[in-house]
Amino acid sequence: MKHETIETNAGWLIVLTLLVISVAGLVEIVPLYFIDDTVEKVEVDGKETVRPYTPLELAGRDIYQREGCYLCHSQMIRPFRDEKLRYGHYSLAAESKYDHPFQWGSKRTGPDLARVGGKYSNEWHVQHLTAPRSVVKESIMPNYPWLVKTDLEYIDIADKMRALKKVGVPYSATRQEFDNNVKRFGKEIAQELDINAAEDNLIAQAESKNYDGERDNISEMDALVAYLQVLGTMVDFSKFEDGHFTKFR
Amino acid sequence: MRELLEWFTHMEHSKPLSLVLLFVTFVGIVLYVYSNRKRAKRLESYKYIPLDDDESTSDEQPAGKHHEH
Amino acid sequence: MAIAGLATQEQYNYAIIKKFVIMALLWGVLGMLTGVYIGFELAWPALNLDIPQITFGRLRPVHTSLVIFGFGGSALFATSYYVVQRTCQVRLFSDVMADFTFWGWQVAVAVSVIGYMNGFTQAREYAEMVWPVDLLIAITWVTYLIVYVMTLRQRSQPHIYVANWFFVAFILATAILHIFNNMEVPISLFSLKSYSLHAGVQDAMTQWWYGHNAVGFFLTAAFLGMMYYFVPKQAGRPVYSYRLSIIHFWALIFLYMWVGAHHLHWTALPDWTSTLAATFSIMLLLPSWGGMINGIMTLSGAWDKLRTDPVIRFLIVALSFYGMSTFEGPLMSLKSVNALSHYTDWTIGHVHSGALGWVAMISIGSFYHLIPRLWETKLWSTRLVFIHFWLATFGIVLYISSMWVAGIGQGLMLRAFDDYGNLAYTFVESVQFLFMPYVVRGLGGVFFVSGMILMAFNVAMTIRQGYRERAMLDAKLAAKLANA
Repeated sequence: MKHETIETNAGWLIVLTLLVISVAGLVEIVPLYFIDDTVEKVEVDGKETVRPYTPLELAGRDIYQREGCYLCHSQMIRPFRDEKLRYGHYSLAAESKYDHPFQWGSKRTGPDLARVGGKYSNEWHVQHLTAPRSVVKESIMPNYPWLVKTDLEYIDIADKMRALKKVGVPYSATRQEFDNNVKRFGKEIAQELDINAAEDNLIAQAESKNYDGERDNISEMDALVAYLQVLGTMVDFSKFEDGHFTKFR
Repeated sequence: MRELLEWFTHMEHSKPLSLVLLFVTFVGIVLYVYSNRKRAKRLESYKYIPLDDDESTSDEQPAGKHHEH
Repeated sequence: MAIAGLATQEQYNYAIIKKFVIMALLWGVLGMLTGVYIGFELAWPALNLDIPQITFGRLRPVHTSLVIFGFGGSALFATSYYVVQRTCQVRLFSDVMADFTFWGWQVAVAVSVIGYMNGFTQAREYAEMVWPVDLLIAITWVTYLIVYVMTLRQRSQPHIYVANWFFVAFILATAILHIFNNMEVPISLFSLKSYSLHAGVQDAMTQWWYGHNAVGFFLTAAFLGMMYYFVPKQAGRPVYSYRLSIIHFWALIFLYMWVGAHHLHWTALPDWTSTLAATFSIMLLLPSWGGMINGIMTLSGAWDKLRTDPVIRFLIVALSFYGMSTFEGPLMSLKSVNALSHYTDWTIGHVHSGALGWVAMISIGSFYHLIPRLWETKLWSTRLVFIHFWLATFGIVLYISSMWVAGIGQGLMLRAFDDYGNLAYTFVESVQFLFMPYVVRGLGGVFFVSGMILMAFNVAMTIRQGYRERAMLDAKLAAKLANA
């Protein structure tokens, strides 16, 4: 075929352009779905420790996204000495395997949050989110005073879990799926992943942990703090030998 | 197909392979574009297309119309 | 002259172009004002005012969407519709479909930004639109493709001019990127909330394949199409080498698609992917500079125009910034440099040297060429164009240099150790250091947006002048007819 044909025929121009721009996606993206090592398996005593979010954590994650936290905070620790000292062990692919969408971020206007879970108390988070400069004088984070005042809307929590189930997150709807989760994650966690008990589970977690320190209601703050406190806590690195995860990189 | 895709994923393969692919195509296009004098003349004549349309409202007429069709 | 002008107005569909031009300017001014505001929010967080709708996290996607899709997108619709008609010497394929692309696009932009302010987002950078907007964009885009290709097919020229190749590649690539990156499952038909089909590593890869090609095709290839028409037109001489344009077209569209993963160096993405991306990023320098050289050399032998013609200045400075940021890009894609630059303001500076220096400057230059021709008059003030040029250039220089200081400075602070092997600085100490660069960056933005406001004023006066001249002409014609 002559190049002249391409130059003078819009159809050929389209076909060849499509061909040329498709190569990269096929070579770079498609294999990520097939290679087993892309996402490492993390199991302790035959149970997977990286689990889907509980209903309350999930609701909190949606608030994290709504407020655009990902635009200033990354959730991806790189394998450098300074990052290890500052944030902890580098992030594993497995740790975000239930994140639809991923929240790795691209800019650290504030520090990385991949392992912020358990680092600070609930009270600290509530105070810091409501008025960051009352805790860290030099902070440039906006105040989020409405979080503690706004009741959490959780009427659609089961819908959310059902949608996530469709894209591959192992929330359970049937008995069989539930039993399967018991095998994978243990009974306690399997109950949290049961879509039929979504609302009850959400209320129970908020009331028992009472993240925002206010007894009478379930606020957006309860959910957001629940989410922040679970970040990076699902892999217990003391259970693995040094260098166990390097072979997956 | 799957094996082929996996073959790509080994660093020692994907780099030279992509290099060869790219280079062959690139050399092909360069040869085509620069190898033939007549073709060169034809191709370069196309650059006058934007200047060919009669422009009636501009503040200045484009300098010199070189029409080579 | 005027009679011939009327004929072109009827021969081509200029009405649609005028609409897109005006919206591009409107979104541009709004989007850049938002950018300045959130820039200052980072220096003085009190500016968040404790109002949810205007906190940084919600306004940032408003800024990016307004400037990329509102300003850039509308500018591309306008110029591509102009270029395809003028180089094919044929009217747009369908006025109705072209109008649909106008309304579809404007509604998508407006609904998106109002949504972001109220917390409706997909939380994926540059693809934050909620699923109904994604659908609207998909339909609008396919209509755009049909209008464009059908116009090409009806052309009266045998050859398809190279500017159109770039526009076609841009339309096709954007369609593919948009569709594959926005595969998502809504939680119900009546909710705006959805979850993306991919998760974690795969989601990150897809997102940055999209994200970087939004830069490569939306913000580069398409604007090169703009360049290949408006630079020769304004200079009054053909492009330097047509053969070079063919070569760098194929090389550019092939290479760009590979490089997205350089946004994911040192992450949980497998090494082979990001290393491959880095390799291609470096190769990409060649076609990028091919385009730059081709554009700048168009002026060879007529360099004096740089002194006298402010519009040429915008176009040539745009190409220079294009050359600079396409050199900086491959540099930042090196793993060792990226280790320092990633997550810092260096990236923000790099983006803006491309977005302000290249995308905005080439659009502004093209608009100054286009607008008098659309409204059949001369620019109201050339002096204001000169002032605009200096405001814009000075603004960009302030912006980029302050972000180099901010990014490299913070990067070095965060990796510094004291004599005992402890971290030398806490994170918040690096935040304190950023205060001055953030103020200077904001000032740079103020300069740039002032230029845009000046431009909007100049354009409004030009349009008014066009209408007056037209009315006078009509009156003369009527008088003549009455006499006859």
